[in-house]
Amino acid sequence: MFNFIAYPLANLLLVLYNLLGQNTVVAITVLTVLINAVLLPLTLRQQKSSRRMQELQPELEKLQKKYAKDKERLAQEQMKLYKENGANPMAGCLPLLIQMPIWFGLYRAIIFCIPSTPLDVFQFSGHIYKWLPGVQGLVPLQSSFLGMDLGMPPGMPQWWSYALPVLVFATSWLQQKLISPPQASTGSGEPSQAGMMSQQMQIMMPLMFMFFTLQWATGLSIYFIVSNAIRIGQYYLVPATRPGAAQTATPAARNTKS
Amino acid sequence: MKESLVRRQTVLLTLLLIIVVSLSGCVGGAPRATSWPGLAFVADKLYVADIANLQVLGAEDANSVWSFPTDTKNDNRGTFQVTPVVTDEYVIAASEMPRTGFFSQPTYVVWAVDRETGRDVWSFSEASGTYVEGGAVSDGTVVIGNSDGYVYALDLESGALQWKFETGHRVWASPLIDSGVVFVGSMDRHLYALSLADGHVIWDFNAGGAFAGTPVLQDGILFIGAFNDTFYALDADTGQVQWSIPGENWFWGGPVVHDDTVYAADVNGNVYALDAASGAIIWQQTLDSQVRATPAISEDGTLLLVGGENGSLYALAAEDGFTVWVDESEGQVLTTPVVDGSVVYEVLTYGTYRVRALRIENGREIWAYPPQTES
Repeated sequence: MFNFIAYPLANLLLVLYNLLGQNTVVAITVLTVLINAVLLPLTLRQQKSSRRMQELQPELEKLQKKYAKDKERLAQEQMKLYKENGANPMAGCLPLLIQMPIWFGLYRAIIFCIPSTPLDVFQFSGHIYKWLPGVQGLVPLQSSFLGMDLGMPPGMPQWWSYALPVLVFATSWLQQKLISPPQASTGSGEPSQAGMMSQQMQIMMPLMFMFFTLQWATGLSIYFIVSNAIRIGQYYLVPATRPGAAQTATPAARNTKS
Repeated sequence: MKESLVRRQTVLLTLLLIIVVSLSGCVGGAPRATSWPGLAFVADKLYVADIANLQVLGAEDANSVWSFPTDTKNDNRGTFQVTPVVTDEYVIAASEMPRTGFFSQPTYVVWAVDRETGRDVWSFSEASGTYVEGGAVSDGTVVIGNSDGYVYALDLESGALQWKFETGHRVWASPLIDSGVVFVGSMDRHLYALSLADGHVIWDFNAGGAFAGTPVLQDGILFIGAFNDTFYALDADTGQVQWSIPGENWFWGGPVVHDDTVYAADVNGNVYALDAASGAIIWQQTLDSQVRATPAISEDGTLLLVGGENGSLYALAAEDGFTVWVDESEGQVLTTPVVDGSVVYEVLTYGTYRVRALRIENGREIWAYPPQTES
């Protein structure tokens, strides 16, 4: 399904592998950096949208209380609030929807280049761009890394291969924690609904990624770890992307007529 | 109200997690094809390794002689996809046993099955990767490569490990054994000549491209293609290149040699007839399908049979590459067809029919297995 993305990515991986001393981990790392660079505008947009929605949360909760018995009016008022503040509740999802096929495409690309099954590599055989310099004879890429097989899921007897899913969980959790907006409170000191949802996501998303990487080729773990490291680095190096950065300029209260 | 909302969110997230875990494959299910079926023919019987079991069929009428295991529902011996090796006493097969728990691993087993009764005599399960191609047997030793990068030598009578040799990548090729020497290719781009006695390296040849096919030896020359789109003739004693010719894509299957002509196909569907002495191209024919399998040749050497990824079996005139007939069927012909006199047998990947017998003169079907019941 995602092969239209996987084939170009797999060929790019071959070129990088050839240019970077035929080191698979380095090639996946550089490919991840390139993909993240391309997706950076989308990532920033997603963070901005998430921040804007978080800022509107207190106002939304006021509306929910005020129009608790009139769902139609509530929906109208919420839309009005979004419109007045230039927010779109779906805007945060769109970049994620674009990134998902790229993740799946990259997964397929890794499977094509470090194949664990013959049918996968046979499928790729007709899609290598032979006009690219140096790609002849590269498949399959070297799959051994610290005694692990990058084309296979973590498993015994290489017990240390389970460190990769754990690292995926740890870096995903840290990344989620850093990019999540500060929790707004409802005024009574209790965390808001959005805050509770955000807290759950901080655990559930890393858990999901850990399950993915327990089942999939360990090469994909490299992608997730490097991706998360980039986002964490971005948090510290680009202050404007931090969730709290725009808290001081919340326009919601100014514009909302409740 | 807030509690119910939180509960609802938790339920939704849990459901999402279950879906993700299910999609990622940790929930069991029917075994799926990761490779192609295995097919061997010996003494009027076909030996078919086709996912669920190892099955023996009468070549004349496709009647089942025995299968291993007999009852696949209650006696799961894993997924069989490796070409069986048939000796006087045993059928050597290999399977992948499914994992039994979330953190457990599949078990990869070589089986020696009694050729008459279909009962297992011994098994070997020390390898940690998938078996892709079958082994070879010589002087009481079974030699077989594994995806864990090792070539294993086992005692034919007991299954005891005699030696193992580590290559730098997966071993997906079936070895060739001749005069006490094992010739085996690895995905590490090397073709190795190993001593059958103890596994020590006699020579190795680095082609710059992976080897997945079985070489053919004739008059001291090994013929084999590689994933660097090149076909080689090597001196069997030294590994020195005698000649090489470029193809358009990988050579996955091995060649077939008849008289002084070498026939090979690259995965783009180019079939080459080469002069064995010089490598000069006698003819070249391009098929409208990808080709994975080693071609087969009729016993009189007049017809070359090439399986296509599109489900076709092509019969080409060995003399000039002219297409004599093409048989089209559902599925893919990724396994090397086998020839017995006037009949050619094919086994299909993803097909409704798994095994078919065709007349070699015109491609007309004799029988197809399993028989389809009319609805």
